[in-house]
Amino acid sequence: MTDPLADLDSEIRDHLEREAQEHVNRGMTPEAARSAALRKFGNVMHVKESARAVWIPAAVDQVVQDLRYAVRMVRRSPGFSAVVILTLAIAIGMNTAVFSVVNAVLLRPLSFPYPERLVWLTASEAGDGFELVGAQDVIGWREATSLDRLVAYDEYDSRVLANGLVLPARLASVSDDFWDLAGATAALGRRPLPGQPEVMLSYAFFEHALGANPAIIGAPVQVGNRRGTVVGVLPPAFHVDLVPPASFASLAPHEIDAYYGIVVRPPQNGMLQLFRVVGRLKPGVSIEAARAELLTIRTRTAARNPAIPFKPTQRVLPLREKLVGAARPRLLILLAAVAAVLLVGCANIASLLLARATARQKELAIRTAVGAGRARMLRQLLIESLVLAVAGGATGVLVAKACLEVMRRLIPQAVPRLLEASLDGRVLAFALAVSVVTALVFGIAPVFSVWKISAFDVLKDGTRTVSATAASVRVRSWLVTGEVALTLVLLCGAGLLVKSLARITAYPAGFVPQQTLTVTVAYNTNGMQNTEVRRREYAAEVLQRIQGISGVRAVGMTTNAGGRLRMFVEGVTVPMEERPTVFHSSVSEGYAQAIGMRVASGRWLTDREPEAAFVVNEALARQVFPGEDPIGKRIQVDGPPGATAAAGAKFGTVVGVVANLKYAKLDTAAEPEIFADYRHANPFDMTFVARVDGDPRATAPDLRALVAGIDRSQPVSDVKTVESVLIDSIAPRRFTVFLLGTFAGAALLLALVGIYGVIAYSVSLRTREIGVRMALGAARGDVMRIVLRQGMVIATVGLVVGTAAALAATRVMTGLLYDVTPGDPATFATVAALVAATALAACCGPALKAARVDPLDALRCE
Amino acid sequence: MSTKDTRVELLQGTLDLLILRTLLLGPAHGHAITRAIEQSSDDVLQVEQGSLYPALHRLLKRGWIAFEHGTSENNRRAKYYRLTPRGRRQLIVETSKWETLAGAIARVLRPA
Repeated sequence: MTDPLADLDSEIRDHLEREAQEHVNRGMTPEAARSAALRKFGNVMHVKESARAVWIPAAVDQVVQDLRYAVRMVRRSPGFSAVVILTLAIAIGMNTAVFSVVNAVLLRPLSFPYPERLVWLTASEAGDGFELVGAQDVIGWREATSLDRLVAYDEYDSRVLANGLVLPARLASVSDDFWDLAGATAALGRRPLPGQPEVMLSYAFFEHALGANPAIIGAPVQVGNRRGTVVGVLPPAFHVDLVPPASFASLAPHEIDAYYGIVVRPPQNGMLQLFRVVGRLKPGVSIEAARAELLTIRTRTAARNPAIPFKPTQRVLPLREKLVGAARPRLLILLAAVAAVLLVGCANIASLLLARATARQKELAIRTAVGAGRARMLRQLLIESLVLAVAGGATGVLVAKACLEVMRRLIPQAVPRLLEASLDGRVLAFALAVSVVTALVFGIAPVFSVWKISAFDVLKDGTRTVSATAASVRVRSWLVTGEVALTLVLLCGAGLLVKSLARITAYPAGFVPQQTLTVTVAYNTNGMQNTEVRRREYAAEVLQRIQGISGVRAVGMTTNAGGRLRMFVEGVTVPMEERPTVFHSSVSEGYAQAIGMRVASGRWLTDREPEAAFVVNEALARQVFPGEDPIGKRIQVDGPPGATAAAGAKFGTVVGVVANLKYAKLDTAAEPEIFADYRHANPFDMTFVARVDGDPRATAPDLRALVAGIDRSQPVSDVKTVESVLIDSIAPRRFTVFLLGTFAGAALLLALVGIYGVIAYSVSLRTREIGVRMALGAARGDVMRIVLRQGMVIATVGLVVGTAAALAATRVMTGLLYDVTPGDPATFATVAALVAATALAACCGPALKAARVDPLDALRCE
Repeated sequence: MSTKDTRVELLQGTLDLLILRTLLLGPAHGHAITRAIEQSSDDVLQVEQGSLYPALHRLLKRGWIAFEHGTSENNRRAKYYRLTPRGRRQLIVETSKWETLAGAIARVLRPA
């Protein structure tokens, strides 16, 4: 059926004409006939509305009318609407972007079946930095009745040799339960069988590295240094959230390219396998019950393996907690900060709407006079706010998309799971909800001003009522005061973080990370004999060749890969597990000079030590040799904690102490470190360090080409400056500073606009008063002072309130600060000065305008 | 109006019944329906002509009448309303309801 209301108008017109015609036929004049017809018909508008009301409930109809009217109002003042929509788009967009990260990191379940039952397990205690579990415990834990799956795995970067190609790849070795735990299915082929050296490829790797050729299924491959057979390809959407090695934290996140099945074997011949471990609790089993059972099992296992040192420590955490727990406080602070920006934006818009509501008093009064009820007017004003907010929110979603892209590109490793952030249904619902709540918040202000309107007063007066406008200026001043206070809180937070960052990156003299290049070779002995000697010869050759590159001032080598070893001192008997764990590197003679390490006492190592020699840093000296001189002590370093003694470990002499230097990770306290001369060690992954003159980017390609050319079979990493490594190590911190800084900047800008708006408006209202003052002899300077004082009162109250609030709020951030106290006076003073200067700048325009008022014009115009 | 004292206001709800009754004779446009009601009641019943339209839409919504576009006697386009089978059944129901009501009121006013 066609719309029955479509031709209601013409139908009624037709009716009236017929009626009139009948009257004319009876002898009336056409005009009289027309009015008679109308009289007989009744109120045409009312008839139409009643007919419409049959089909459309009256309330809906009115809302549609209000919407139309609101859209018309938005269009009629494009400048005002643009300012409001843009403010909202930026504020809502930033909120949506941050929420999408919170959603991905904290709210979305992990990518496993039964994610809430997954636990991460380790035998070490918190803060020890060591997270691997020995094979004996993995085997023991398999008996646990509180777990229904237990996976031992490891993750590392290496190569896949397939189809005659050498493909760099991220690999994961996984034990049998992995496939069930991850809920993996094969898109192609099948899942690996238990206990078999079988390989499963990620779809992306299969597609991009292997050209999606299904012939790879069943083909022999070498994965890292293991041989196996590819049996399947995972679906494109397959993804697991595994806890990566700590050394990956500073790298851009990367999906695992190939998984291969491993078997966990009991320790034999002093060789112990170490794994990362995740497990799945049986349904209904509490994590506490699991903790108790797992510790009991470990104690029993330890009794059966007396050769392996045992400490009754362990951590069993929900996997989610382990993955994202550290990011939570940061994200919540950012969410609060970005909400504050929205609040500042709302205050600005409310202030604008108030000014406009005052200007619209006459329109609203007329509507009241012709019978619009108060409720109807409120609804209409709220709908206008809603139209603006939804337009702002919709634009905000686009802004959010852009923000998210920037965050992910800029610092992808800053927050775990950041790459999974997207604008999904929940995020869009959030944006909509925020828009609606925003509309209610900023829509409230003009509603109040309407509430008090007396149609009679407004219409009688014909001009804006002075008392109402004065009240409006007062309310707006309070709003802007609130803005200033909130902005100050945000700026203080951002300021403290910036200062922390500055403290962290204040490098000691002699350490020039910008001019220092590194390149790492994961030396592969490819089944050669006498590997220690080969490694040393290789290192010596690379060092000598790099020295020859022009622009290289110093070159050295280190094996530091974040490895900790237990150290013991000759003549001091302590149980194995109480020996200190220290960072251990094998280094060359040139290393100290190349990296910029300062010798505090004794001497640095040479490449010609007659026997094993060591240098320790000050942190180690303080911890292990308190009150003693470490030089001359005989020490030895051993295999990893939990492992049995590495073969051939010898005692050596400490020959020197170096100052602590953070050359790998910036925002932690200096750790005890020990350096051994590489000629008496077995250098595994070798990192070559070259201090260069001039632009390091010019030398980098030469350096890499040279190192790669020495032995083509060795995998050579990209060349990086030490500074970029350091910067990556504080990615989460930089992410927080960047975002909080952006939010604080946005808030400051909004506050500037807000102050300007109120003062300019107030000057425009006071033109006459200013004219009178000038006519009575006030100088231009006096007038300016009056205007500035009004602005500075707002700013000062805002500063006082804001400082009090900031003192309380920044305490929450203590965990994010480095070498700065939450209430740092210097930061607070700087921020207060910045806000005051901004407020002053905002008042200058209106003050100058006031000073230029011509008293004659001002008095004549009203 | 004072000159036509014999005219009475239409009772609430009876307009629907009158429209259905009128359309029983055949399709008609809005003005024709008003005229028919006025004439067949010997001009006693006074309809405010406009109120016809909301009533028509009420009946359309209930599916008792339908409309189509046609051309009237003097070649003007008009909207013609007609009774649907459901409307025909409803007319019987409404008529008997009215007669029951009218009879009851008559008995009250002139007790036997």
